[in-house]
Amino acid sequence: MSLKPTIGMETHVELDTESKMFCSCKVVETDEPNISLCPTCLGLPGALPVPNKKAIEYIVMLSLGANCSITKEGMFHRKNYFYPDLPKNYQISQFDFPVGFEGSLEIVIEDSLHTVAIERVHMEEDTGKSIHLGSGRIDSATSTLLDFNRSGVPLVEVVTKPIISSAKMAVAYIEELRQLVIDLGISKGKLEKGNLRFDANISVAEEGSDELGVKVEIKNMNSLKSLEKAIDYEILRQTKMVQDKESIIQETRHWDENKQVTLSMRTKEGSADYRYFSDPDLPNMVINDEFIEISQNQIKETPEKKRKTLLDTGLSLSDSNYLDKGQRWLYELYLSTVKETGDCKSTFNFLTGELQGQMRKAEISELPQWLNSEKLASLINLFENNEVSFTSAKDILAKLLIEDIDPKSFASDNNLIQSSDNDEIKALVTSIIHENQDIVERLENPEDKLVGFLVGQVMKSSESKVNPKSVKEVLLKELFG
Amino acid sequence: MNRNIPSISKLNNLFLDKELKPSELFEQVYENASFTESILHAHLELFYDEGMENSKKSDERFLKGESIGKLDGIPIAIKDNINVYGYKTTCSSKMLSNYVSPYDATVIGMLKETGSTFTGKTNLDEFAMGSSTENSAYGPTKNPWNPDYVPGGSSGGSAAVVSAGSAVASLGSDTGGSIRQPASFCGVVGFKPTYGTVSRFGLIAFASSLDQIGPITNTVDDARIIFDNIQGYDPKDATSIKPKYTEPKNKKLKIGIIKELMQEGVSEDSQNEVNKVTQLLENNGHEVEETSLPLTEMALSVYYLIAPAECSANLSRFDGVRFGLREPASGSYEMMNKTRAVGFGEEVKKRILLGTYALSAGYFDEYYGRALKVRSKIISDFQKAFDDFDFLISPTTPSPAFRFGEKTENPLEMYLSDLCTIPANLAGLPAISIPTGLSDNNMPLSIQLMGKPCSDYSLLDLAESIEDMVSFNHLPKITKGDNES
Repeated sequence: MSLKPTIGMETHVELDTESKMFCSCKVVETDEPNISLCPTCLGLPGALPVPNKKAIEYIVMLSLGANCSITKEGMFHRKNYFYPDLPKNYQISQFDFPVGFEGSLEIVIEDSLHTVAIERVHMEEDTGKSIHLGSGRIDSATSTLLDFNRSGVPLVEVVTKPIISSAKMAVAYIEELRQLVIDLGISKGKLEKGNLRFDANISVAEEGSDELGVKVEIKNMNSLKSLEKAIDYEILRQTKMVQDKESIIQETRHWDENKQVTLSMRTKEGSADYRYFSDPDLPNMVINDEFIEISQNQIKETPEKKRKTLLDTGLSLSDSNYLDKGQRWLYELYLSTVKETGDCKSTFNFLTGELQGQMRKAEISELPQWLNSEKLASLINLFENNEVSFTSAKDILAKLLIEDIDPKSFASDNNLIQSSDNDEIKALVTSIIHENQDIVERLENPEDKLVGFLVGQVMKSSESKVNPKSVKEVLLKELFG
Repeated sequence: MNRNIPSISKLNNLFLDKELKPSELFEQVYENASFTESILHAHLELFYDEGMENSKKSDERFLKGESIGKLDGIPIAIKDNINVYGYKTTCSSKMLSNYVSPYDATVIGMLKETGSTFTGKTNLDEFAMGSSTENSAYGPTKNPWNPDYVPGGSSGGSAAVVSAGSAVASLGSDTGGSIRQPASFCGVVGFKPTYGTVSRFGLIAFASSLDQIGPITNTVDDARIIFDNIQGYDPKDATSIKPKYTEPKNKKLKIGIIKELMQEGVSEDSQNEVNKVTQLLENNGHEVEETSLPLTEMALSVYYLIAPAECSANLSRFDGVRFGLREPASGSYEMMNKTRAVGFGEEVKKRILLGTYALSAGYFDEYYGRALKVRSKIISDFQKAFDDFDFLISPTTPSPAFRFGEKTENPLEMYLSDLCTIPANLAGLPAISIPTGLSDNNMPLSIQLMGKPCSDYSLLDLAESIEDMVSFNHLPKITKGDNES
């Protein structure tokens, strides 16, 4: 029996709005508890929610970015459950009329494109934070501390259809989603800060079967590494259970980072009854064409668009995806540099390899002001045209990172320009052939490794002032005609 | 005591003519309260010090000719489910016995701007759930006309203080009749404005889609003045509207008598008042005709699904975690459970259970979902009726005030006392109760008028002309009842 896993992802994205979802309290990033509160986000009696227009604009943007249809009239629902950090003991969320529905995200796994179908994009408010002292769990805590700074911060939940088939694919999906919210400018997208938190619904079923197996939900992860490991672990656990003819129970588990296993949190008897009903404090969200247009106009960039732009420069899919998911300045630098070099691969290699490597080593996080695409292109062209050696190019780059120089003049001034003068090379080659007769005699064909040795000898005798490619050409001509 | 309190306009003239000072009025009203409170228990808390201080500020404004408006120096009582900064808002519940509000409700902020003073907070059925104030955790309020009778509810305290002269006017809240029914029982005017015209921000919610703050007053003009000063769009309440008030097309009005509220189940007394008033209206050249709104008969059932459903979520926040009562326990959930078990009274628990059930998976469509559908049909029925009629008339209550304990054993009968008032809440209509006569046992009788949404001012105009026609000028004689020892 061959089993295949099916995964659906639910991701909470914390929006980067100035104020909270239903009140004018500032969204704050601080460890100091309970400093950004009002009657509304504290759930005091008589306080009422008023929707944050910016947040709705953001969620429409995300829906558009995820290629969703947009509802004409969204509804706010109350999701009822008791928890000490949920001030009203209901969460304002959306139920049957989410803002966005039926969308898709294009994702890249290594060198192939895949599509992840999005079921819905809906808005909800965040809860406060609980710190359970004594045990970390509410039912065995000696006491619980509550911080309501986060209470009422706008969240978007993005739910995929159950069509993800591996941990790798889930990771690629989260990377794409994360990049989308960053490119849209609607969330900081910092995983370590919990700006994105994800739940994975995992089941296994027989290959070819239309029915899905019993689903297990792994809750509240915010690192890609944990996500990948947790899914892999869970697929293995479930597969083994099925093979051992044990029945899988529908439950919520969490990933234990220390033990590297998923552990049961609670068993769900059917689905929890949240008694959703439309919130009588909030009229329906009317999302008309004008509002959609305003939101659409806010979208300057999406990872999908960026990737297309990168592919158009001739770059491979995986290289395009690498730049797409990298830092913004690198993406922009690549585009402006490749325009001048016309050579996508060498530009990509030089920027992502040499430049980033040297910056990392020198602990420079930002490019010096003078180090623009023009200078980089000029440097890349220098070694691509064999005017300087790669070693010299590296040295010039190192210099460029600390000083405003012109790569070409610097190369000439410092005698780094390699000679392509055939007469000069020919003279050097002739003398090396003469000096190494024993080796020349052993040469069998142009692919012989010893050719390289001879080239090296020429280079050495020229003090690397000649172009190795030209040397090789001349040498081969001399030896094999 | 001088129970006979002039209208707000007259008081304002007395202040302007320097014949009376706001502080003197406040003193008199407070004196009335001091006398009546021991009998009626209508105020839960009196704000003497701050009230007096504010009255004196009014004195000065009138002295300098800088008075703010008609409400300057007018003592108003506030139902104790409306937040006043720095004072307790108990909702007549144990749950909030120690809860001090850190903010003003929007209506309170607006009233403070008018220069009015507050006499204090008034008693109600716990969380506004009830029709007699018998559900108050702090004991019931008595009817000023006869303390053996209930004052109605849930705004029983607010109706009783106006009737007893221990405030010039009061604010109540009306979810299914909680302003109009007690106003009717206490012989005063009770006005529930169009849903959304008066901000709910700071009103402790019972059923958000039905709740509406409104005035309880001695005269229709007083109600108009208070309404004028508390109505208007509030950016803090997403259900608040920017009202465009309407006027009827003709001076000669067409008024419909709701047939379904003039049949079995509604006492002869109550029906007679409607007939008396419609006769007067016809005499004054208006057209009166019976009309049928068949779904009115389902309004009560619809209400007792929608209101409890909303309240079941609205009252979830009372959990002992952040404010109010907290019962000691060994864990968070146990604490919440115990707090809610101890803090809520029986009626509140009953409605939370009812609402939780109506919203549960598997029952939602059958109960809450169906109630919503009927509600929207009721709304369209009213819309159709208002194509033909400018206003609708009915009794406010099926019968005048009843005795304490008379309906506590039979909740359905208690619920029926809101039979005539509930439809206006379901449809969001403005509705007013005005006293029109006395029953054989000397208890007030009244009629109710309803108008289309945003016809508030013209509804008040019609109510005022009826007020003139019937000239109800009886006052209660406040004495201890038979049951008092």
